[in-house]
Amino acid sequence: METTVLIFGQLTDITGAAMLECMAVPDTDALQQQLHQKYPGLAAAKYVIAVDKIICHQNTVLRAGSTVALLPPFSGG
Amino acid sequence: MVKGKSTVMATDKPKNIFVQGPISPVFIADSIQKHSNKTGIGAHNIFLGQVRADTIEEKMVTAIDYTAYEAMALEKMHQIREDIFAKYPLTCMHVYHSLGRVAAGEISLFVFTSSARRRAAIDACSEIVERLKAELPVWGKEIFDNQTHQWKENTPNG
Repeated sequence: METTVLIFGQLTDITGAAMLECMAVPDTDALQQQLHQKYPGLAAAKYVIAVDKIICHQNTVLRAGSTVALLPPFSGG
Repeated sequence: MVKGKSTVMATDKPKNIFVQGPISPVFIADSIQKHSNKTGIGAHNIFLGQVRADTIEEKMVTAIDYTAYEAMALEKMHQIREDIFAKYPLTCMHVYHSLGRVAAGEISLFVFTSSARRRAAIDACSEIVERLKAELPVWGKEIFDNQTHQWKENTPNG
Protein backbone atom coordinates (compact mmCIF):
# COMPACT_ATOMS: atom_id res chain seq x y z
CA MET A 1 0.00 0.00 0.00
CA GLU A 2 1.27 3.40 -0.99
CA THR A 3 0.51 6.44 1.11
CA THR A 4 0.63 9.99 -0.19
CA VAL A 5 2.25 12.43 2.20
CA LEU A 6 1.82 16.17 1.68
CA ILE A 7 4.58 18.38 3.04
CA PHE A 8 4.06 22.04 3.93
CA GLY A 9 5.86 25.19 5.03
CA GLN A 10 9.38 24.96 6.42
CA LEU A 11 9.27 21.15 6.19
CA THR A 12 9.60 21.43 2.40
CA ASP A 13 13.07 22.95 3.02
CA ILE A 14 13.99 19.60 4.66
CA THR A 15 12.36 17.18 2.21
CA GLY A 16 12.92 19.24 -0.94
CA ALA A 17 9.48 18.13 -2.16
CA ALA A 18 5.87 19.03 -1.43
CA MET A 19 4.66 15.46 -1.91
CA LEU A 20 6.16 12.09 -1.00
CA GLU A 21 5.02 8.50 -1.48
CA CYS A 22 5.65 6.05 1.36
CA MET A 23 5.41 2.29 0.98
CA ALA A 24 3.91 -0.18 3.42
CA VAL A 25 3.10 2.01 6.37
CA PRO A 26 0.25 0.60 8.47
CA ASP A 27 -0.08 3.61 10.76
CA THR A 28 1.19 7.13 11.42
CA ASP A 29 3.88 5.96 13.89
CA ALA A 30 5.39 3.67 11.23
CA LEU A 31 5.16 6.45 8.66
CA GLN A 32 6.90 8.89 10.95
CA GLN A 33 9.67 6.38 11.64
CA GLN A 34 10.22 5.84 7.91
CA LEU A 35 10.27 9.58 7.19
CA HIS A 36 12.61 10.42 10.06
CA GLN A 37 15.02 7.78 8.84
CA LYS A 38 15.02 9.21 5.34
CA TYR A 39 14.99 12.87 6.41
CA PRO A 40 16.77 13.19 9.79
CA GLY A 41 15.94 16.94 9.81
CA LEU A 42 12.27 16.08 10.23
CA ALA A 43 12.93 14.39 13.57
CA ALA A 44 14.06 17.73 15.00
CA ALA A 45 11.29 19.76 13.34
CA LYS A 46 8.05 20.76 15.00
CA TYR A 47 4.92 19.52 13.23
CA VAL A 48 1.61 17.71 13.63
CA ILE A 49 0.20 14.99 11.38
CA ALA A 50 -3.19 15.21 9.69
CA VAL A 51 -4.87 12.18 8.15
CA ASP A 52 -7.55 13.07 5.60
CA LYS A 53 -7.47 16.68 6.84
CA ILE A 54 -8.01 15.79 10.52
CA ILE A 55 -5.14 16.39 12.97
CA CYS A 56 -4.16 13.17 14.80
CA HIS A 57 -3.40 13.35 18.50
CA GLN A 58 -2.27 9.71 18.67
CA ASN A 59 -1.12 6.88 16.42
CA THR A 60 -3.67 6.44 13.64
CA VAL A 61 -4.24 3.47 11.31
CA LEU A 62 -3.83 4.35 7.62
CA ARG A 63 -6.24 2.99 5.04
CA ALA A 64 -5.69 2.58 1.31
CA GLY A 65 -5.99 6.01 -0.23
CA SER A 66 -5.48 7.94 3.01
CA THR A 67 -3.83 11.32 2.53
CA VAL A 68 -1.36 12.24 5.22
CA ALA A 69 -0.08 15.77 5.71
CA LEU A 70 2.78 17.08 7.84
CA LEU A 71 1.86 20.50 9.20
CA PRO A 72 4.48 22.75 10.83
CA PRO A 73 3.26 25.61 13.10
CA PHE A 74 0.75 27.77 11.22
CA SER A 75 1.62 31.33 10.26
CA GLY A 76 -1.28 32.68 8.25
CA GLY A 77 -2.73 36.16 8.45
CA MET B 1 -32.64 17.75 14.55
CA VAL B 2 -33.09 21.41 15.31
CA LYS B 3 -31.48 23.54 12.68
CA GLY B 4 -29.92 26.69 14.03
CA LYS B 5 -29.67 29.99 12.24
CA SER B 6 -26.03 29.21 11.40
CA THR B 7 -26.99 26.08 9.47
CA VAL B 8 -29.45 28.04 7.40
CA MET B 9 -27.07 30.88 6.64
CA ALA B 10 -23.92 28.91 5.87
CA THR B 11 -23.72 26.87 2.72
CA ASP B 12 -22.81 23.18 2.83
CA LYS B 13 -19.91 23.56 0.47
CA PRO B 14 -16.96 25.39 2.06
CA LYS B 15 -16.64 28.88 0.63
CA ASN B 16 -13.32 29.77 -0.96
CA ILE B 17 -11.40 32.38 1.03
CA PHE B 18 -8.15 32.38 -0.94
CA VAL B 19 -7.13 35.02 -3.44
CA GLN B 20 -3.95 34.99 -5.49
CA GLY B 21 -1.61 37.81 -4.51
CA PRO B 22 -2.49 40.90 -2.44
CA ILE B 23 -6.04 41.99 -1.58
CA SER B 24 -6.62 45.32 -3.30
CA PRO B 25 -8.10 48.32 -1.46
CA VAL B 26 -10.59 48.63 -4.35
CA PHE B 27 -11.88 45.12 -3.65
CA ILE B 28 -12.34 46.09 0.01
CA ALA B 29 -14.21 49.28 -0.94
CA ASP B 30 -16.45 47.30 -3.30
CA SER B 31 -17.21 44.81 -0.52
CA ILE B 32 -18.37 47.65 1.73
CA GLN B 33 -20.47 49.14 -1.08
CA LYS B 34 -22.24 45.80 -1.65
CA HIS B 35 -23.80 46.05 1.83
CA SER B 36 -25.60 49.34 1.26
CA ASN B 37 -28.86 47.55 0.41
CA LYS B 38 -28.75 45.52 3.64
CA THR B 39 -30.31 48.22 5.74
CA GLY B 40 -30.74 46.05 8.84
CA ILE B 41 -27.02 46.43 9.37
CA GLY B 42 -25.96 49.11 11.84
CA ALA B 43 -22.28 48.20 12.26
CA HIS B 44 -19.43 46.88 10.18
CA ASN B 45 -16.10 45.80 11.59
CA ILE B 46 -13.09 45.22 9.37
CA PHE B 47 -9.71 43.73 10.12
CA LEU B 48 -6.94 44.13 7.57
CA GLY B 49 -3.63 42.35 7.87
CA GLN B 50 -0.76 44.17 6.18
CA VAL B 51 2.67 42.69 5.45
CA ARG B 52 5.15 44.34 7.78
CA ALA B 53 8.69 45.19 6.65
CA ASP B 54 10.38 43.67 9.71
CA THR B 55 14.13 43.99 10.03
CA ILE B 56 15.76 40.80 11.30
CA GLU B 57 19.54 40.75 11.74
CA GLU B 58 19.97 43.66 9.33
CA LYS B 59 17.86 42.01 6.63
CA MET B 60 14.53 43.54 5.73
CA VAL B 61 11.36 41.62 4.87
CA THR B 62 10.29 42.70 1.39
CA ALA B 63 7.41 40.23 0.91
CA ILE B 64 5.66 37.20 2.34
CA ASP B 65 5.01 34.16 0.17
CA TYR B 66 1.87 32.39 1.44
CA THR B 67 1.06 28.72 0.92
CA ALA B 68 -1.78 26.68 2.39
CA TYR B 69 -3.22 23.22 2.67
CA GLU B 70 -6.22 24.66 0.90
CA ALA B 71 -8.70 21.79 1.22
CA MET B 72 -8.12 21.51 4.96
CA ALA B 73 -8.07 25.28 5.49
CA LEU B 74 -11.44 25.69 3.75
CA GLU B 75 -13.02 22.93 5.84
CA LYS B 76 -11.62 24.51 9.00
CA MET B 77 -12.81 27.97 7.96
CA HIS B 78 -16.27 26.51 7.31
CA GLN B 79 -16.30 25.21 10.90
CA ILE B 80 -15.16 28.58 12.27
CA ARG B 81 -17.89 30.29 10.23
CA GLU B 82 -20.57 27.98 11.65
CA ASP B 83 -19.30 28.50 15.22
CA ILE B 84 -19.22 32.28 14.82
CA PHE B 85 -22.73 32.47 13.36
CA ALA B 86 -24.00 30.26 16.22
CA LYS B 87 -22.32 32.48 18.81
CA TYR B 88 -22.96 36.02 17.51
CA PRO B 89 -26.01 37.68 15.92
CA LEU B 90 -24.23 38.55 12.67
CA THR B 91 -25.80 39.60 9.41
CA CYS B 92 -22.70 38.91 7.29
CA MET B 93 -19.21 37.54 7.55
CA HIS B 94 -16.55 37.61 4.84
CA VAL B 95 -12.97 36.34 5.01
CA TYR B 96 -10.25 36.62 2.35
CA HIS B 97 -6.66 35.46 2.66
CA SER B 98 -3.85 35.86 0.15
CA LEU B 99 -1.83 33.06 -1.40
CA GLY B 100 1.45 33.59 -3.20
CA ARG B 101 3.57 36.69 -2.92
CA VAL B 102 2.39 39.79 -1.06
CA ALA B 103 4.83 42.71 -0.83
CA ALA B 104 5.46 44.70 2.36
CA GLY B 105 2.73 47.31 2.71
CA GLU B 106 0.14 45.24 0.87
CA ILE B 107 -2.92 43.56 2.41
CA SER B 108 -2.92 39.78 2.93
CA LEU B 109 -5.96 39.29 5.19
CA PHE B 110 -9.42 40.86 5.08
CA VAL B 111 -12.05 39.95 7.68
CA PHE B 112 -15.37 41.75 7.47
CA THR B 113 -18.30 41.28 9.88
CA SER B 114 -21.62 43.10 9.97
CA SER B 115 -24.42 43.17 12.53
CA ALA B 116 -27.38 45.28 13.64
CA ARG B 117 -25.41 46.61 16.63
CA ARG B 118 -21.66 47.07 17.00
CA ARG B 119 -20.75 44.65 19.82
CA ALA B 120 -21.40 41.48 17.80
CA ALA B 121 -19.50 42.71 14.73
CA ILE B 122 -16.48 43.81 16.79
CA ASP B 123 -16.27 40.71 19.01
CA ALA B 124 -16.90 38.27 16.17
CA CYS B 125 -14.26 39.91 13.99
CA SER B 126 -11.58 39.64 16.71
CA GLU B 127 -12.49 36.04 17.40
CA ILE B 128 -12.32 35.11 13.71
CA VAL B 129 -8.86 36.69 13.35
CA GLU B 130 -7.52 34.89 16.44
CA ARG B 131 -9.00 31.56 15.40
CA LEU B 132 -7.86 31.65 11.80
CA LYS B 133 -4.30 32.55 12.77
CA ALA B 134 -4.25 29.62 15.21
CA GLU B 135 -6.24 27.03 13.25
CA LEU B 136 -5.85 27.50 9.49
CA PRO B 137 -3.05 25.49 7.85
CA VAL B 138 -1.46 28.50 6.15
CA TRP B 139 2.25 29.33 6.10
CA GLY B 140 4.08 32.56 5.42
CA LYS B 141 7.61 32.57 4.10
CA GLU B 142 9.29 35.92 4.75
CA ILE B 143 11.44 36.97 1.81
CA PHE B 144 14.37 39.22 2.68
CA ASP B 145 15.99 41.92 0.56
CA ASN B 146 19.06 39.68 0.05
CA GLN B 147 16.82 36.92 -1.43
CA THR B 148 17.18 34.65 1.61
CA HIS B 149 14.07 33.62 3.55
CA GLN B 150 12.76 32.54 6.91
CA TRP B 151 9.44 30.97 7.86
CA LYS B 152 7.14 33.27 9.77
CA GLU B 153 5.77 32.23 13.16
CA ASN B 154 2.52 33.53 14.57
CA THR B 155 2.46 34.88 18.11
CA PRO B 156 -0.62 35.63 20.26
CA ASN B 157 0.11 39.35 19.74
CA GLY B 158 0.11 39.00 15.97
